[in-house]
Amino acid sequence: MKRAFILLFAVLPLVFASVVSAQTIELTYWTHTDDNRTAIENRYIEEFQKLYPNVVIKRVVNEAAKMGDLVLTAFSAQNAPDIFNLPIEQEYGYMIHGRVAPVDYEAVGYANAEELIADYLPGTFDPVTMDGEIYGLPLELTNWAIYINDRVFRDAGLDPDVDYPKTWEEMIEISEKLVIREGDIIVRRGFDFRYPYYLVAMLPMVEQLGGALLSEDGTTAIVNDEAWIQVLEWFREFGPHGRNLGSPTYTSARKVWDFDNNDIAMCLSGFYQQGRLRIDNEEFFESGEWRVIPYPVFENAVQDVACAYYGHYMMVNAQTSSEKQYWAWKFIAYMLDHPWEYLETVNIIQPRNDLLNDPRFMELPYMDVFMNDMERGHIVFMHENGYQFERFIKEAVESVMLENMDSREALDILRERIQEVLDDQY
Amino acid sequence: MRRTRGFSMERKKAIWGWIFVLPSLIFFSAFSFYPIINAFYESFYNRNLLSLRPPRFVGWDNYTYLFRSRDFWLSVQNTAIFTLGTFVPLVVVSLILAVCIMSVSRFRRFFQLSLYAPAVLSSVVAALIWLLIFDPRGLANQGMNALLGTTGVNYKWLSDTNMLRLSTIIVYFWKYVGYFTVLFVAGIGAIPHTLNEAALIDGANRWQLFWRITFPLLKPTTLLVSVMTMIQCLKTFSTQYLFTSAGAPTRPINVITLSIYNTAIKDYRIGRATAMSILLFIVMFVFTWLQLRISRTEEVTFM
Repeated sequence: MKRAFILLFAVLPLVFASVVSAQTIELTYWTHTDDNRTAIENRYIEEFQKLYPNVVIKRVVNEAAKMGDLVLTAFSAQNAPDIFNLPIEQEYGYMIHGRVAPVDYEAVGYANAEELIADYLPGTFDPVTMDGEIYGLPLELTNWAIYINDRVFRDAGLDPDVDYPKTWEEMIEISEKLVIREGDIIVRRGFDFRYPYYLVAMLPMVEQLGGALLSEDGTTAIVNDEAWIQVLEWFREFGPHGRNLGSPTYTSARKVWDFDNNDIAMCLSGFYQQGRLRIDNEEFFESGEWRVIPYPVFENAVQDVACAYYGHYMMVNAQTSSEKQYWAWKFIAYMLDHPWEYLETVNIIQPRNDLLNDPRFMELPYMDVFMNDMERGHIVFMHENGYQFERFIKEAVESVMLENMDSREALDILRERIQEVLDDQY
Repeated sequence: MRRTRGFSMERKKAIWGWIFVLPSLIFFSAFSFYPIINAFYESFYNRNLLSLRPPRFVGWDNYTYLFRSRDFWLSVQNTAIFTLGTFVPLVVVSLILAVCIMSVSRFRRFFQLSLYAPAVLSSVVAALIWLLIFDPRGLANQGMNALLGTTGVNYKWLSDTNMLRLSTIIVYFWKYVGYFTVLFVAGIGAIPHTLNEAALIDGANRWQLFWRITFPLLKPTTLLVSVMTMIQCLKTFSTQYLFTSAGAPTRPINVITLSIYNTAIKDYRIGRATAMSILLFIVMFVFTWLQLRISRTEEVTFM
């Protein structure tokens, strides 16, 4: 009898532990690096876990440029996180292939999709809606405009109030006045492009001239060769084989712009850049000697198209249990229910009506520029093979800009590669 | 005569040999043989890495596509350029350095350590260091301008086609020359001194010593270094990946391994990517076999 009790007491804790661990929901959440967002989201995790002690959330951070590869590898190895976010042009494929779960409206506090949609800017959920179901909640909707360092402008004898570039042609002329070189080597750039995000920042340049990546029915690659040639020639003129004003081989412009080291005057970035500026260089941020101007347009543009906007949407892995999916959506909704904190701390905009209609919103520095540009722009090009197309465009631009390839030849190669994918002969 | 029962001594030794080798064999089978076989199997299917649909059997289609693909042959060309440009200098210079090191009596270990140090860095770290050096404002341009007495010339280490290829070769060479030098040092050290002494007594000069004694007897080491260098060069990836991620153009340095990565991870075409990796494996296997066959013509013994 005594032995039976001893055995029971020895086994009981193990049974208890296994029952407890079986009841605990463990969620993994993968996201990209952003120190400001990490600070607030770690707090949200603590708060959520206190509210729901049966849920444990592990937040894993990776470099933004690596996230696409890491998430893809994880999904293909059937070891994907429960929650993740990527730019929508990368997430689109996950939705198409059934890798992500539709929103659990009850978990996020809505009766149905219509109620959810009504609380957001019209069109917010278009990129993540398939067959009437919504597959993501927006962490941010972002577009890029041109940040200007007024000090560098004045140093070059320019007046930032009037001498800022309104066209891509002026961008080259003004960059020429701002640039400082030691021989061939650029010591100060006027502007540099946001390589390699060509779908977001370069494709609109083509669209301004009446071009497109695909025909309207999506079966033919490259519309309006002359538009494409003009844009490729712009890059050639900008690069080392032209006026030598910048290149993808120099340090990314937005990474050095904050430090105000007289090494770059203009960069292309989103509203979130201000949050980073505040941390990187508070003096420069507070000085007000910087500004944001609209995305330029070609002089012979046939359409006024600004930089495309893209979103990061929170998505849930569809290959996990329904219980995990429920709690994942519940946690996502909890996090995203702090839109002002995300805006003030991280400088990212959730396209929620309660935020956008708040009088304080439009008073934020240069928010009018970003919002006006958002109206001029459209959601980034999305396609099942969008990631692949962007790689092809990157190689086309590099071939012209860095290898001095003939633009028509580069365009023909680009067309052939994209068409091959479209024809599924690839 | 009594008949012995159980296993003979030789058999017992053999069994123990198998027991000791078995863990490595299992490990190698699980992490090398099985992936190779699985990759070969996968190469006959058309599978999208993201899709949940079952893969579609396409037979030899992936291979026939590659043999018709301009991009694939460009990556073969880039791999060949990189391999030839790296392999020959690596083998020759590491041999010369080894001979020089063995000819000095002092600071031998220091020289070996200095040359070997880059080999312990990961390829990623090495590539990142050289990215800074090859930056237009970096040490490479400053050094070349100082050397040639010019000012502000940008040698376009990361943008010009030929300079970019040279840059990747320099990174690889810098990283591995010490490693192969140490191998040659070990090989030279294994040659009995008596042979050299006898040759010196017979009136041989240093040049003749090297060509008539050292170099022929170094054949096994030379073969080892050649095979390892060739395989390393064919497998190159990190440098090209990091350089292209940092803004360098892809076309000039799109080697087969980078093409495999892009096909699998960017294009989601895992079947085609594995077909490429099988072709690369076959090339590496053939080169290794050829080198072993060529070297088998003469046996090397120290008499």
